[in-house]
Amino acid sequence: MKKILTATALLLSGTALAHAEGVLQLYNWGNYTSPALLEKFKAETGITVTVTDYDSNDAALAKVEAGGSGFDLVVPSANYVPIWVEKGLIVPLDASKLANKGNIAPEWQDVPWDKGRAYTIPWQWGSTGVAVNTKVYGGDINTSAVFLDVPPELVGKINVVPEMNDVVNLAIWYVGGEPCTEDTEVLKKARDVLLAAKPNWLSMDYGATEKLSNNDWAASVNWNGSTMRARTANPDVKYGYPKEGYPLFMDSVALLADAQNVEEAYKFLDFIMVPENAAMISDFARYANGIAGSDAFMPEDMKTAPEVMTPEEFKASGHFLPTCSPKAQEYMTAIWTELQK
Amino acid sequence: MARQSFSAVRLPGFTTTAVLVFLALYVPIFTLVAYSFNASQSVAVWGGFSLDWYAKAWANTQVKEATLRSLLIAVSASAIATAAATMAALGTTRRKAFRGQTFIYVMINQPLMVPEIVTAVALLIFFAAIKVATGYQGLGYLILAHSAFCIPFAYLPIRARLEGMDLSLETAAADLYATPWQTFRRVTLPLLGPGIIAGAMLAFVISLDDVVITEFVKSGGQDTLPTYMLGQMRRQLTPEINAISTMLLMLTVAILTAFFLLTRKND
Repeated sequence: MKKILTATALLLSGTALAHAEGVLQLYNWGNYTSPALLEKFKAETGITVTVTDYDSNDAALAKVEAGGSGFDLVVPSANYVPIWVEKGLIVPLDASKLANKGNIAPEWQDVPWDKGRAYTIPWQWGSTGVAVNTKVYGGDINTSAVFLDVPPELVGKINVVPEMNDVVNLAIWYVGGEPCTEDTEVLKKARDVLLAAKPNWLSMDYGATEKLSNNDWAASVNWNGSTMRARTANPDVKYGYPKEGYPLFMDSVALLADAQNVEEAYKFLDFIMVPENAAMISDFARYANGIAGSDAFMPEDMKTAPEVMTPEEFKASGHFLPTCSPKAQEYMTAIWTELQK
Repeated sequence: MARQSFSAVRLPGFTTTAVLVFLALYVPIFTLVAYSFNASQSVAVWGGFSLDWYAKAWANTQVKEATLRSLLIAVSASAIATAAATMAALGTTRRKAFRGQTFIYVMINQPLMVPEIVTAVALLIFFAAIKVATGYQGLGYLILAHSAFCIPFAYLPIRARLEGMDLSLETAAADLYATPWQTFRRVTLPLLGPGIIAGAMLAFVISLDDVVITEFVKSGGQDTLPTYMLGQMRRQLTPEINAISTMLLMLTVAILTAFFLLTRKND
């Protein structure tokens, strides 16, 4: 068996291309990387970027952890960055090779899950809030009360996306707690609010872009990017930033510990911090990017989108969800299970 | 009234059940195909008829590369799997029953019984060790992995064909001093042909559709059409996916139709 394997390996290794001149292996979420950006990068540096897709943080983690993945850069979500660091799968970045690091917008220079941006460079970010058809409901939409204390106009017409972390933490903020809390009083209150609200919901489902567009749902807990697309199709849809607190998410680029093309990777990281290039990322995937000065290069429809350009007054209520302790995670799962009964 | 033999067709509610089952099976597919002709951005809101998404999918280099890669893997894997399956089928039918025969069947059909995700994780770990040791990142891993799980799909129709064949022809050939090889080449193989082709086509379709194992085994830049489509899920789905799905569906239907016609001919 071993002999056959070695022979096969020798036979096939003739075409090995793990480390070639001017190539870079980017492992990113599917449909997330602008082809125009990669063309521009190639024109400027001569480096060919190969993109490989993944569809979940866990899949990406499992694959890289197994070893020999052959990738150079990966784009984990914020709450997964500490896990990648802890497992030693990504390495601290050498700031001296990143001339444009100062371009990172001040609010993203230091983030709770990556102190001083030692390991990651922003790719894209967004938020979870409430999308409301303002023709159906004309009241204040910048509050979680829209789905936790459902106004009469929206009873039986509102959807909640089935995302445990987002939904439970919105409820915890709503009752005055902090995410990942282990305080049973707060958790009890959050659970009661959710259970009391649930009979007023229409569904717990995905697909908000379509369902809000064609008026199947009058409101939904939803992501900002999806709400922007729904609003383009149906101008009555507005995005609310719950003032009690709402979750932010961010995907950032990190350098893998076993990267083969390190110099090329640094060139790419520096390249995406140029405002004009960061705007190309946003133009493709329709989320904000975290690079100061990129607004000027953004497509017109995004520049003015209230879903993408968070209004100043709501910025303070947005928070990253920390990586919860196992105990807090257990509590949340218990609430979630009860809610789904 | 003459007593009729038992037939499911005459059971009460047969027609209703059949219609409901066919609706459940085909309505989603027809919806998917219908929306591939949608003019709007959405996979659920109709915006008029258009072929734009087909043009877009056709012009998408990522889709093109993924399709070619899928076809290359499916052709190679089904060829390897069919060769192995033919040998296995001959080895398990053209001889006296032997001890451990059932065990061999189980071994050959293992990919049908072990959950795909288990195989995927096992292959991920196994190939990762080889990748680290050799540095080779090519398509070989995917072809090997696909060959492995395609073997039972090729094996079953070939074995069924062998078991249904009249042994007296082979015996007659041997009586007339044909060597074992001549018997195989001139008698067994021609009779077995439709079984082999059917097995190869089943293996091809199974390889073409695979997601889980491919997702875990693929190296950089090796997305196949199904894993590319899976990657689109996190952001907005456009009718481009419907258009690609419809084309993939057509290909699968064409191959399965050919499979049906070939197996019917000689039975």
